Amino acid sequence: MSQLKIAVVLLVSILLQLLLREVWRPLSYIDFPLVVVVYIALQRDAWQALLVGTLAGLIVDAASGGLIGAGGFSKTLTAYIIYFAATRVNLENPLLRIPVLAAGSLLDSAIYVFWHRVLGYPPAVPLMQTMSYKLIATTVVGTLALYMLDALVAERSAQRRQFATRRRVARRSTGSLRRR
Amino acid sequence: MALLVANLVIMAIDARDADGKHKMLRVWTQTFASPLQNASSKASGATTGFFQQIWNFRSTAQENEQLKERLTQVETELNNARQAAAENERLKGLLGLNEQTTINSIPARVIARDPSVWFNTITINRGSSSGIEMNMPVVTAGGIVGRVITVSPWASQVMLLTDEKAGAGAVVGQLGQSGALGSVRGRADLGVALIEMRYVSGTEKVEVGDNVMTTGQDGIYPAGLNVGRVVEVKSGSATQAHHILIQPGAQLDRLEEVAVLLYHPPPRSVPEQTPQNAERSRR
Repeated sequence: MSQLKIAVVLLVSILLQLLLREVWRPLSYIDFPLVVVVYIALQRDAWQALLVGTLAGLIVDAASGGLIGAGGFSKTLTAYIIYFAATRVNLENPLLRIPVLAAGSLLDSAIYVFWHRVLGYPPAVPLMQTMSYKLIATTVVGTLALYMLDALVAERSAQRRQFATRRRVARRSTGSLRRR
Repeated sequence: MALLVANLVIMAIDARDADGKHKMLRVWTQTFASPLQNASSKASGATTGFFQQIWNFRSTAQENEQLKERLTQVETELNNARQAAAENERLKGLLGLNEQTTINSIPARVIARDPSVWFNTITINRGSSSGIEMNMPVVTAGGIVGRVITVSPWASQVMLLTDEKAGAGAVVGQLGQSGALGSVRGRADLGVALIEMRYVSGTEKVEVGDNVMTTGQDGIYPAGLNVGRVVEVKSGSATQAHHILIQPGAQLDRLEEVAVLLYHPPPRSVPEQTPQNAERSRR
């Protein structure tokens, strides 16, 4: 997986997170950086997942009214847990990504709120309602986003595309030889 | 593990730094993000405005007639107000009262809202380069909005009144005439639509529809600013405070333009740390 592609995808996800709430409030329920973190963790690249989780969490924390580090902590831990699961259970099936995304969103929110409550900064919104909206929005949009990331970032899918083109070319050439 | 510990340490430092003097990471992020947020805010505002104009075009003629009627009314009211102001000045002069000091303000535009869904802060396009400082009050024509919690050179972060950590000293009715003093603050389950007022004595008379004003005793907001209107009262008793819900005067979920008051609260006298009797007993 190219480092540069990951950096660009991460940057885009952070920008979307920072800017979309201004356009329409419900869009802020989609946790774009978390989707990227989950994607990298599912590729079983532990260090990259943890670093991306920390970085994305810290930047979003710094722009929000919450505690700096709470998002970093929650995303890093979520990335590790998903990576741990991905190394033991086969999560390659695209359908299995849906429950993984949902669990990731739930875990991330729970850890984030836990630290805020422990340190005396209770969130300013109803807990269950916000958690549910975030879970639904991140899972629905995240599932589509993971397909897009697969097409854009994953080397395996790029290889698959290359092989498909080669096969097509090969078939054409063998077909024309037969006809001759 | 090291990353988790590092995050935990940053979090603990941030939680201890309640006055926000050492929020370097936050200030730098805001400094770099504010131009982008500014551009995005302008773009989204222009797009929304364009569609809104098309939508509003249909009712323009009717609205024009209504506005003309309203203009006539307002002109009459303005003349009356001018006469009253002139009379007020004359009477002040007769009584020898000093002119009331006015608080300067800086207009600002909301360029971003909290990117996390858990908090309700806003970011405005004015920062320390415009003279904004920590804890300065932010208001709209409707009433108070909140206070500045982080200042970077070109942007500032504002904690809304609906946050549980935000609070303001307030009074139901007019300051000096009413004894219904208390404090207002947000509550998570109320969202941005309502705030609650606490510690108002159960013996004071409070009714739905009463206006709530700031008292100036919190060291943040000047006295006499509108907070909102009482929408629900659960009456208390001699031993129990009223439970009051207030609808904020400012439309906190639709803020676009605000003003930052360049207000510095009067310094408070510091109480003696050591009681005199303790000093005597040592001798």
